[in-house]
Amino acid sequence: MIAELRNISKSFNEIKALDNINLGISEGEIFALLGPSGSGKTTLLKIMALIEQPTSGEVYFCEEKVTNKNIQQTRMQATMVFQKTAVFNTTIYKNVAYGLKLRKIPENRIKDEVSDALRLVGLQGFEKRLAKSLSGGEQQRVALARALVLRTKLVLLDEPTANLDPRNAAIIEEIIGTVNRSFKTTIVMATHNIFQARNLPHRIALLQNGRITETGTTTEVFTSLSRTLASFAAADNVFIGDANPSVDGVTLIDIGNDVQIEMTALKSGRVSVFIDPKEIIISRKKFASSARNILKGRITEIADAGNVVKVKVDVGKPFIIQITKKSLAGMKLHLSMKVYLAFKASSVQTIQD
Amino acid sequence: MLNGENGLNELLEGIEKAFQLIISGDPTVLDVTLRSLYISGAAVCIAALWGIPIAILLGLKDFRGKILLKGLFNALIGIPTVGLGLILYLVFSRSGVLGFLHMLYSPTAIIIGEALLMTPIVVSFSANALEAVSPEVEDLAKTLGASEDQAFFAVFRESLNGVLLATVSSFNRAVAELGVAQMVGGNISGFTSVLTTTIANETAKGNISISIALAIILFILVFGITLAVNLFQRRRK
Amino acid sequence: MQTLKKIVLVASIITILIISGSWVYLEHFATRRLIISTTTSLYDTGLLDALKEDFRKKYPVDISIISAGTGLAIQHAEKGDADLILVHSPSMEQTFLSEGVGICRKIVAYNFFAIIGPVNDPAHINGTTPIEALKKIVNYGRNYTGYPPYVWVSRGDNSGTHTAEKTLWKKAGHNYTLLSKETWYVSRQGGMGETLMMTEEYQGYTLTDMGTCLAYSKQGQISLVPLVTQGKDLLNVYSVIAVVPSLTANQTLHSSINFRDAMAFIRYLVSDEGQRMMESHGVFEHGQSLFYGAVQLLKQNSTSQIAQWIKDYAFINGTECPQEYRYNQNDLYS
Repeated sequence: MIAELRNISKSFNEIKALDNINLGISEGEIFALLGPSGSGKTTLLKIMALIEQPTSGEVYFCEEKVTNKNIQQTRMQATMVFQKTAVFNTTIYKNVAYGLKLRKIPENRIKDEVSDALRLVGLQGFEKRLAKSLSGGEQQRVALARALVLRTKLVLLDEPTANLDPRNAAIIEEIIGTVNRSFKTTIVMATHNIFQARNLPHRIALLQNGRITETGTTTEVFTSLSRTLASFAAADNVFIGDANPSVDGVTLIDIGNDVQIEMTALKSGRVSVFIDPKEIIISRKKFASSARNILKGRITEIADAGNVVKVKVDVGKPFIIQITKKSLAGMKLHLSMKVYLAFKASSVQTIQD
Repeated sequence: MLNGENGLNELLEGIEKAFQLIISGDPTVLDVTLRSLYISGAAVCIAALWGIPIAILLGLKDFRGKILLKGLFNALIGIPTVGLGLILYLVFSRSGVLGFLHMLYSPTAIIIGEALLMTPIVVSFSANALEAVSPEVEDLAKTLGASEDQAFFAVFRESLNGVLLATVSSFNRAVAELGVAQMVGGNISGFTSVLTTTIANETAKGNISISIALAIILFILVFGITLAVNLFQRRRK
Repeated sequence: MQTLKKIVLVASIITILIISGSWVYLEHFATRRLIISTTTSLYDTGLLDALKEDFRKKYPVDISIISAGTGLAIQHAEKGDADLILVHSPSMEQTFLSEGVGICRKIVAYNFFAIIGPVNDPAHINGTTPIEALKKIVNYGRNYTGYPPYVWVSRGDNSGTHTAEKTLWKKAGHNYTLLSKETWYVSRQGGMGETLMMTEEYQGYTLTDMGTCLAYSKQGQISLVPLVTQGKDLLNVYSVIAVVPSLTANQTLHSSINFRDAMAFIRYLVSDEGQRMMESHGVFEHGQSLFYGAVQLLKQNSTSQIAQWIKDYAFINGTECPQEYRYNQNDLYS
């Protein structure tokens, strides 16, 4: 086991962020932490990255206990990429080279390593540019390059694509997969995105209110726990409902509060379904289209997530959709506005396979 | 009657003579300019020396009374130079508290006075610059392998633009101030005469051309330095 | 924060090193430093700088000259910030001696004030005695109808020149306080140069020392001309007074007051060389002496009119320095 947390608890003043966490990360795996915001994912990752001290409990790295004496060296074997992109106000080269310089790697080798790392994230040739002059998505890729260039045993990613546009998000997901396959790097990532949670990791843990409620392989977790997943909103747009196949070959699902959605897959009984936020169209007027699902609701939340905007619409049940800032401005969306959501029946996915 | 248009002629003549003095490298002009640079330069070093650690404390740590302290330094930025000069004069006078140091009428006294003048500027601006650095930077440095000290320097480096601006602004204030230099320096020619005191005293004596020459140099100095720093900052952005 | 503590420690150490370093340097330096406090009108003639140059050739002392209005110049000495004063105000000098601060007073030079005014001299004071002239100016002023109504400009700064002016008005039979409030009388409250410029502006009359007047004329700053230049009442006498060495409370290894070099400077001023330096100053630029040596004049006990005037005006209790203030430097007063 590359990292092990035993009875880890963390409190900030009076508030207990983590409560008796026991977790083991195996070498070479991708491990996902799933949980709602505020559940303690970031704190847990920071403790694993050895940049946060637990209030109680022990951290083991490569079977050795981490103490005040060896924490500085051990820290060099893990690195973390934060959710909110952080870059130094200097060139991309200096950013990516920072960790290498600390490890006293000779200058000519640094040059090659940086160049390779930038190629890996698709930013080759960008060495001389100022990091802050890049877009948010590109900056996050720089942060990733900066972390990966260190070839640490463990890489921790805190919602690596949460604030990114789909294109950059896809690039990063691909890099994560490649790095793990090619270099056998152990990756622990916190995510809110159920697609990501299903596609990338080998194992998942669910974190709720500072406690781990379940761990297991992806399949295990998704199969047996889909209900729990939906109920504690570990991810966006996950609903439980009663499915009833209808005459014209679609399934009607009642997800509660008088909300009915249509799904192409045929199912009956209790199901957990999920709709990708990117596949939902928001409009101010109802219009005819090929989308079978048209739901009316009100905007209850508008959140800036870096490059994209997440809009929460209450149609009886809360739906999260994702649009660009330009669209937000162009459509002049605001809170409590009456809007229509439209998505195809084929966009509705069931969670268990 | 010597006023009206004659006054304008006089001014133009003065400017002409001033340029002659500057170009020919007149020894007084040179001596006074270099002394101003040396004294204010030394003062800025001292102000930065004790000002930046205070700024770090104010910018990065939390403690009771922090807001009060910040407010105090902000208020002291505009302290009237002649007021400070008077206080220091009374302190350094042989009959004053620090009289035994025999520092009155010496360049050192001016350096200390100007350093005190500059400190609030250095502290306030630098503290603001440090506060403005994202809190993630420290964690970022650590997770990339930095020790406590190294992480701190990473944070500090991010605030360098602001700290630089602070230092240069305070230098400009020092080199252009009159009150302190006059009161504790005494404008002793060849010893404590600086740009500002010489301009004031030569004007009072009626030697307009040298005053104009020195004033031109002072303007060029202050504007030039500000311009240079602005350009430098823009490059770093 | 560990790092912060380290930085504060380093910064403190460096600051202490710098300050103690400069203190050691200054201490070493301070012993051979002579601080002379003088008045602006005297300093602005450039005489002090010339004397300093000359004195340096014989004596390895660094001379620092501080100039201020007479009142402040004397105050510097009272606070112990000067070792020596060179002023021209006998009344204030007397106080300076009697309050126990000043010692070894020597009268070193004299010259005359002048009443200057516009070329056309509307008040017709040219050639009259000083008192006559002032009386005429009062008349002229009270009947003046021009605008602005200013006919006389005073320094108004309690300097030696201002004190002399007040004495003159008193001798002319006027109450200064009341007179200075009349419409035609304006007070510049500044140095001689500024006062001359204002007088020039208003084309009025004023009392000035010849040194500043000549300097400003030469540079073409004023068109005013000296109209009344002779007379006992215009006598201006310059004295040098040392500061008593036991003055300040803070006694360190070296006495704060540099008495030794102060006495050396006094002896220089009264020596033939010093006297010659003073008399030759300004001759080249202005074609006339700005200062006249007083030492020989007084020594010879001559019956010249000027010597008598000096004695009347600037002596204290019949001598230039009463016995109790001679600090045993009797050779100065043979």
